[in-house]
Amino acid sequence: MFEINRTTEELLVDYAEALRDGYIPVFLKSLTRQEGRTIATSRQFWDATEMVRVLNSVGFADKTVTPNVSLFMSRVDAQITSRLKKAKAPSQSKAGADAKRITKTKKTEKPI
Amino acid sequence: MNKQLRKALRRLMDPDLECRRRAMESFVRATFEIFIRYLYRYLGNEVECEDVLEDVYADIWEDPNRLRNVTSEKQLLRTVYLYYMRRRLRDVYRRINRNLNLPQTALKNLIAPELGILEMMSQSELRETIGRMLSKLKARERTAIELWLEGMSNRAIASELKTTVGAVKMLKFRTLLKLKKQLQHYHGED
Repeated sequence: MFEINRTTEELLVDYAEALRDGYIPVFLKSLTRQEGRTIATSRQFWDATEMVRVLNSVGFADKTVTPNVSLFMSRVDAQITSRLKKAKAPSQSKAGADAKRITKTKKTEKPI
Repeated sequence: MNKQLRKALRRLMDPDLECRRRAMESFVRATFEIFIRYLYRYLGNEVECEDVLEDVYADIWEDPNRLRNVTSEKQLLRTVYLYYMRRRLRDVYRRINRNLNLPQTALKNLIAPELGILEMMSQSELRETIGRMLSKLKARERTAIELWLEGMSNRAIASELKTTVGAVKMLKFRTLLKLKKQLQHYHGED
């Protein structure tokens, strides 16, 4: 899919296409060690990536198909419910453990 | 900021978790489209945008304090990006980071960069500025960018401009740098 030993220009163009078409992870995985170094050290690459994001935002963000908000809302609510449960869970188990400890102590107590 | 959003934000500051949970509905309805378009700048993929946004909203519900002093839509967007979205954007790529030949800082800058020009401008400001900047380009440069924005591949652009794929890549790269300089000039950053 991608060429090998790409120059800064080629890397930038591939990044731009990956961002436009939504396959950034594939682009990231395609980078060789040498290309990674090229990207990390190229000032021009970073300047151009910012411009790519700007153009992506202007050219495509408006064309995105925004999904059904109500449907999405139920996903958010489910996520919140799960976090609420997680937040309550440790306190409940701790309370349970405390209760067990008390009953255990009571059993070992000698009657006066 | 519109009245609905202001009211939703105020209700989000309630210390009671259940009240905040109920307040989330109006907050999500008021901000969903703005946030998803904003995230699209970084992910370029609606499905990923939804997944990230789901976590972002849950994070906001858990700790909305960063939004306490927000007074405008622009400020809201910037604060949400800085304190909620960036963390989640980085999480998306953390799982594949082990197999990447890219230094951690470079990856962070590529996926969830620090606040730049893009984050400082609203969508309408950006559209207006880009339109003005594109009109100042040479015809060939403008055509290359416009065709790319229409979704054409490099090969298709090359055939349209009657040149090679390599030349198109070079032309796009140079034009992007030129546009970036113009954008900086527009912001008086030089």
